[in-house]
Amino acid sequence: MELLGLVNYALFMAIFICIYALLALGLNIQWGFAGLFNAGIAGFFAVGAYTSAIISTPAAEGRIGGFDLHFVFGWIAAMLAAALVAWPIGKICLRFRSDYLAIATIGIAEIIRLVIKSEPALTNGARGISSIPRPVGDIGYMESQIAYLIIVLAVLIAAYVLVERQFNAPWGRMMRAIRDNEDAAKAMGKNVEFRRLEAFIFGAALMGLGGALFAHFNRSITPEAIDPMVATFLIWIMLILGGSGNNRGAILGAAVVWIIWSVSEIATDRLPHEYAIQAKYIRLFLIGLMLQLVLRFRPEGLLPEPLRGDQRATKSGADQH
Amino acid sequence: MDLFELLNFYVVPGIVLGSIYALGAVGITLIFAILRYAHLAHGDMATLGAFLALAAVTSLGVSPYAALPIAIVGTAVVAVGIDKVFYEHLRERPKIVTVMASLGIALMIRAVVQVVWGVDTQTYSRGIVRPEDYFGIRIRDREIFTILAMVALVGALQLFLTRSKWGKAMRAMSDNPNLALLSGIDNKKVVILTWVIAGGLCAASGFFLGVNTELKSMMGWHMLLPMFAAAILGGVGRVEGAVLGGLIVGIAEELSVLVIPSEYKAAMAFAILLFMLLVRPTGLLKGKVL
Amino acid sequence: MNALLSMENLTAGYGEADILQNVSMTVAQDEIVAIVGPNGAGKSTAMKSVFGLLSVRGGKMLFDGDEITGWAPNRIVQRGICYVPQVDNIFREMSIHENLEMGGFLKTGDLTAAYDRVYELFPDLKERRKTLAGSLSGGQRQMVAMGRALMLDPKLLLLDEPTAGLSPKYMEQIFQICRDVQDAGVAILLVEQHAKQALAFSDRGYVLAAGKNRHEGTGADLLADREVAEMFLGG
Repeated sequence: MELLGLVNYALFMAIFICIYALLALGLNIQWGFAGLFNAGIAGFFAVGAYTSAIISTPAAEGRIGGFDLHFVFGWIAAMLAAALVAWPIGKICLRFRSDYLAIATIGIAEIIRLVIKSEPALTNGARGISSIPRPVGDIGYMESQIAYLIIVLAVLIAAYVLVERQFNAPWGRMMRAIRDNEDAAKAMGKNVEFRRLEAFIFGAALMGLGGALFAHFNRSITPEAIDPMVATFLIWIMLILGGSGNNRGAILGAAVVWIIWSVSEIATDRLPHEYAIQAKYIRLFLIGLMLQLVLRFRPEGLLPEPLRGDQRATKSGADQH
Repeated sequence: MDLFELLNFYVVPGIVLGSIYALGAVGITLIFAILRYAHLAHGDMATLGAFLALAAVTSLGVSPYAALPIAIVGTAVVAVGIDKVFYEHLRERPKIVTVMASLGIALMIRAVVQVVWGVDTQTYSRGIVRPEDYFGIRIRDREIFTILAMVALVGALQLFLTRSKWGKAMRAMSDNPNLALLSGIDNKKVVILTWVIAGGLCAASGFFLGVNTELKSMMGWHMLLPMFAAAILGGVGRVEGAVLGGLIVGIAEELSVLVIPSEYKAAMAFAILLFMLLVRPTGLLKGKVL
Repeated sequence: MNALLSMENLTAGYGEADILQNVSMTVAQDEIVAIVGPNGAGKSTAMKSVFGLLSVRGGKMLFDGDEITGWAPNRIVQRGICYVPQVDNIFREMSIHENLEMGGFLKTGDLTAAYDRVYELFPDLKERRKTLAGSLSGGQRQMVAMGRALMLDPKLLLLDEPTAGLSPKYMEQIFQICRDVQDAGVAILLVEQHAKQALAFSDRGYVLAAGKNRHEGTGADLLADREVAEMFLGG
């Protein structure tokens, strides 16, 4: 591969890592800090992608929008829309153990997939929405890629700083108290359900933003752009491998998993066609196996959750149950 | 629309589909109640069962119904194996970790099916089967077999749970796990039994879906939501509830096309699930809530 | 004294905290022994540590000639100690008879004799053997719980607050059943919140406070002890 191609590939990969890191951060809010199991990440991602696409594309025949608004509105709308989808699900399911949330989020992702496929007035059906603008307008290909990387990196850093700050704030302490010992937190008068709902909605909003970033990067979004199960699962393995409860871990996990995933894709793409298809599924199998191995042998991930001052007391307290 | 039209086009297919869901939902409800987690690989385990039966049909040349017992045994063995290799080590950890592991197992099982049998649609036998007419009710043989097999399998399970010593031990473990341990009931054997039963029923569920429609690598995953909706609708831990729930979800899905576009049939299960969690999380027959 | 169960300098607890510190107790054959003390004194912990339900960090336990420290619950059950927890001590969704059957799970062969013995102790249960245990009143549930524990013909029965939440009438009945059980050759170690009544009916008692042995003696002696009376029995 020539140098330009390599640089281009690296840029491409870096942008994807940033987008996935954002999704992993969103999941970290839900799972790492609040213990909520979201198995429908792809659904929130898709809602964000389509919302931003509808808001920021020029007007089109046969579907709602586009409203041709500035991309910033698209991204904000993406977060709001994902949060809005999360709200009723969380409201109903967060009273129970997270198993119910897992099932319901699988369901909502499935419904969102159906809506995308069968509501052309909203999503333009199978053709999807194209000519989604890049934030910096029409500049050369390479410049555009670099500019986009800078933007997604800035978004990621901003999200990281905000989330990290929240975790160290009283809010984060409370979330951990709830996660580690729900009964004790309840006894202290914490509104467990409401706090969890907050975490679920914040996480979903970040996932929606991730979807929007993806759509603007690709310049288009189609139903086939994301395989719900694969996307959801990749983000899970990123967070678990990186270290749930640790924001830096989430970002590291996104980088490591995405690099393994795309490098293995390059390798399998060189196989003859009939093996290439099988190799794709073998890769999926190995990703599933990787999760099992991490869960069993290194559940704390590459970067374990830092034991913050407030946790030493609650950790030993939690052991009693 | 007259009554027979309603029965023939919506209710009968609904009962058949519901019987298929019921077979899976019974396993889900047992695992939920005894092992205390939601098993997200249940649908894909059903897919595996369906394809194991296909393997028996194509390699041994037996009829699909003769292949069913082979698929049941095979899937039960795989289920116990998965538990031993993957889930057992997570037993001391929070249950949600096993839920996560089961999502990974779902992906792994599906990948195995896709590698071994490919992603194309397959069937047990070719040809169109016309329904027979029984006093105006039109029903195919395979549909009758599906319903009868469900009733027979669940009936046998109920007898086992209420009459045999180990069946009662399973109920005891579901009812009060600490007291079961204090009574000296061997937790490990109960877990193995639960997987044998759940795995076998999974295979039957996937098999009958394959008999009545076709075999696809995603067939089981798409049944996951209706099966969970059925288990929760009936009441977690209630075998008869899972059957009732399965039938209701199946019929509701078939009837839903009268009022909503048929693309959204699958949304019925989701609506039922959320509705039950909202108004009566213990389900129709007062089950558990985790 | 020929002790059936003896705890020697037991230190035990949950997580990092030691709830019990250096506690020693004995129960002799055919004896009813009560453990009393204020809330949080470690009474239930003492009982659970006998049953291997929490980590024992120091000391040892002997039962009928064997050292049983660290044994798994099912092995202890088989060895002849049965335990009735304070709460969740029945299978609610199973009939009374099935509750007893589960109690006798480890027994191979015919359970008829065991059923007969339990139904003789609890005639009320025999009439309602098909009833779901969860639908019974508190006192009857306690009987089912005790009946379940007696199915294996234990040498020692551990009862964790058997009269908690029961009316005085049922409390008397439970105590009477304890005596009948004792007459049938089973020793009983029980934890009680109702200290006065428990000491009055037991052969001996131990007073625990803050995880340590404070007093021991016959029930009558302890009841007469001024310090015990002031500290734990509400004057």
